[in-house]
Amino acid sequence: MSKMALELLREHKKEVVNAWVDAVFATYPFETTGFLRTKQDPFGNPVAHMTRESAAILFDAVAGEEMYPPTVKAALERFVKLRAVQKFVPSESLAVIYLMKPILRKQVLPAMSRVGQLAAYLEAESRLDSLALLAFDIYSEARETLAEARIKEIRNQHAQLARWAQRLEAGPRSGEKP
Amino acid sequence: MAKLPTPQMLVASRPNFPDEPWIDTKPEFTPGSYCYPAKKETMELMHMPHPHEWDPAAEDWNLPENWEKILCDAFDDRLARHRSLKLFMDICVRCGACADKCHFFLGTNDPKNMPVLRAELLRSLYRRDYTMLGKLLGKRVGARGWDKEVVKELFSYAYQCTECRRCSLFCPYGIDTAEITAIVRELLHEVGLGTHWIMDPVKNCSFTGNHLGIQPHSFVEIVEMLADDCETITGIRPKTPFNEKGHEILFITPSGDVFADPGIYTFMGYLLLFHELDLDYTFSTYSSEGGNFGSFTSFNMAKKLNAKMYAEAERLGAKWILGGECGHMWRVINQYMDTYNGPSPSHMITPKSPITGTVFKNAASTKMVHIAEFTADLIYHNKLKLDPSRNDHIVTTFHDSCNPARAMGLLDEPRYVLKHVCNNFVEMPENTIREQTFCCGSGSGLNTEEIMELRMRAGMPRGNALRYVQQKHGVNHMACVCAIDRATLTPLANYWAPGVTVSGLHELVGNALVMKGESKRTMDLRQEDLPNVTDDEAEGEE
Repeated sequence: MSKMALELLREHKKEVVNAWVDAVFATYPFETTGFLRTKQDPFGNPVAHMTRESAAILFDAVAGEEMYPPTVKAALERFVKLRAVQKFVPSESLAVIYLMKPILRKQVLPAMSRVGQLAAYLEAESRLDSLALLAFDIYSEARETLAEARIKEIRNQHAQLARWAQRLEAGPRSGEKP
Repeated sequence: MAKLPTPQMLVASRPNFPDEPWIDTKPEFTPGSYCYPAKKETMELMHMPHPHEWDPAAEDWNLPENWEKILCDAFDDRLARHRSLKLFMDICVRCGACADKCHFFLGTNDPKNMPVLRAELLRSLYRRDYTMLGKLLGKRVGARGWDKEVVKELFSYAYQCTECRRCSLFCPYGIDTAEITAIVRELLHEVGLGTHWIMDPVKNCSFTGNHLGIQPHSFVEIVEMLADDCETITGIRPKTPFNEKGHEILFITPSGDVFADPGIYTFMGYLLLFHELDLDYTFSTYSSEGGNFGSFTSFNMAKKLNAKMYAEAERLGAKWILGGECGHMWRVINQYMDTYNGPSPSHMITPKSPITGTVFKNAASTKMVHIAEFTADLIYHNKLKLDPSRNDHIVTTFHDSCNPARAMGLLDEPRYVLKHVCNNFVEMPENTIREQTFCCGSGSGLNTEEIMELRMRAGMPRGNALRYVQQKHGVNHMACVCAIDRATLTPLANYWAPGVTVSGLHELVGNALVMKGESKRTMDLRQEDLPNVTDDEAEGEE
């Protein structure tokens, strides 16, 4: 990708990121959206923090910055894991990634096509598709972890009981009274 | 041909914004978000009112015919009985200080999980029947009547509150939302609505003494099995005194420590510590449960289950009671036990440590001492030989369990112990610990697997803080003083901060404790290799 295209994308980072964050916040009930927008503390308002963090990384990855895949994954992980346990169906959880497309088309596409960078723009959009697939991996993994946690927990609750029962099954050990 | 929805259409949760105000939004019951209902037979056995078959996901909950009258009368009765409830109904000014303090709200972003709005679900009903404005103006002043959807809503949100009381900390009026939740749950039980995860342990506790309903002989055998494990690790088999009369101390701990991983390792820590001190104590199979799921059911059920502690201390002639690491057990003891079953039996005395002579005046009324206080006192008086390097493989943080932290102010004692048994200790961010601690998301009878998804979102603020110290300081362990925490923080950590293990405080004490005549330790209480044990040394032992 040309340097020019990257510069153009960088110029629009702030407004795209903000618009995307707002779009994500809008997926929550109205009474909550205001709170998400206003408070910045990473522990007092973790959902907003996770969303903002992943927004910045998501944009950088789409723009074609030099990104180390594990960094992208780590940043998306927190956000996707959150969406994976909130009350959304899977498509609702992950469709938020695609909400960046209409924003890019509105904010960035006109500027880029004006200077003949349409191909570079389409490449950027394709990177968003790859990122959505990456998010899908994280999502599936999170749901599997969840299912495993349920099984493990059932086992752990009675761990000692099962061990005791197995001992009974084996009969008295040598030297022990029956 | 129908058109495919766009991503915007897929995520739009409120297409006709503003769709409808909270008061008209109906609760949803999707799998993973509600607890399974209590069995009819269980409710019958416990003489609970109106036992019946029902399903939270069904349209009709088969409520008794005169359900509305039952609920109104029960509410009236509770208002008359608990002056605090009436006060909590009247004084809220809806300032919103509590709104963003609830871990359920932070995790779900559902406005009805703001403590103020959760309480408003009940307050709106109160307003209609008990305030002049509500009677006259109804919905315009936020008053509403009972209907079956309201009952469902109360159920949904009363079981999305862990009674952790973080919100109360920020309320300028000191409104205790946990008490409101407790009353709502009590009201729901009046029309036969309870959850399996709570009522089954209540039944088991009533009949056999502990949550799993393990018979006394089996209970003893399982504890002996753990003593065998202690012997494998230390070369010393600690004594396991049960139901013996005439000892100074009765020891009561949640039964999860006996049955569940990783609680058992904490229990082994107790066994080793008591053995090393040659403590004059006994366990009881009758009072073999510190936890009190009755406190998630009703006032009377909590009182009944709690009564066993004093009854057993009296029968066995114990002078005072030492309590293990548990959460809500300590809230019940510290805040309700005196009212429920006090005063303590006349032969009991203000607890005094037989090792250091310290008198626990803070326990003068209940006669019960928390083991973290007891051990901190031992360490303070230099009565234990400890080798913290045995815990060098962990960088630990400490999770303040809600009830010991906020209901009894147990903040510094566990940290004091932890710092003496571990060399690497890191605190989580300030607004997530001590009084402001975030709940594990699974307390108050919500630690059941069918709502794992709900637990993960409710525990997210805790998981988020844990992940932060994991990444910033390399934390790989979290200690806590609650049996529910030990069980539930394990999957929570695995989800939000994989690689972090969870244990009770006394598991780490057990690891670090240098016992008289012990064989060289090569493994920790989980029978995993200890750090700092060179092969040469290990071989030298053989």
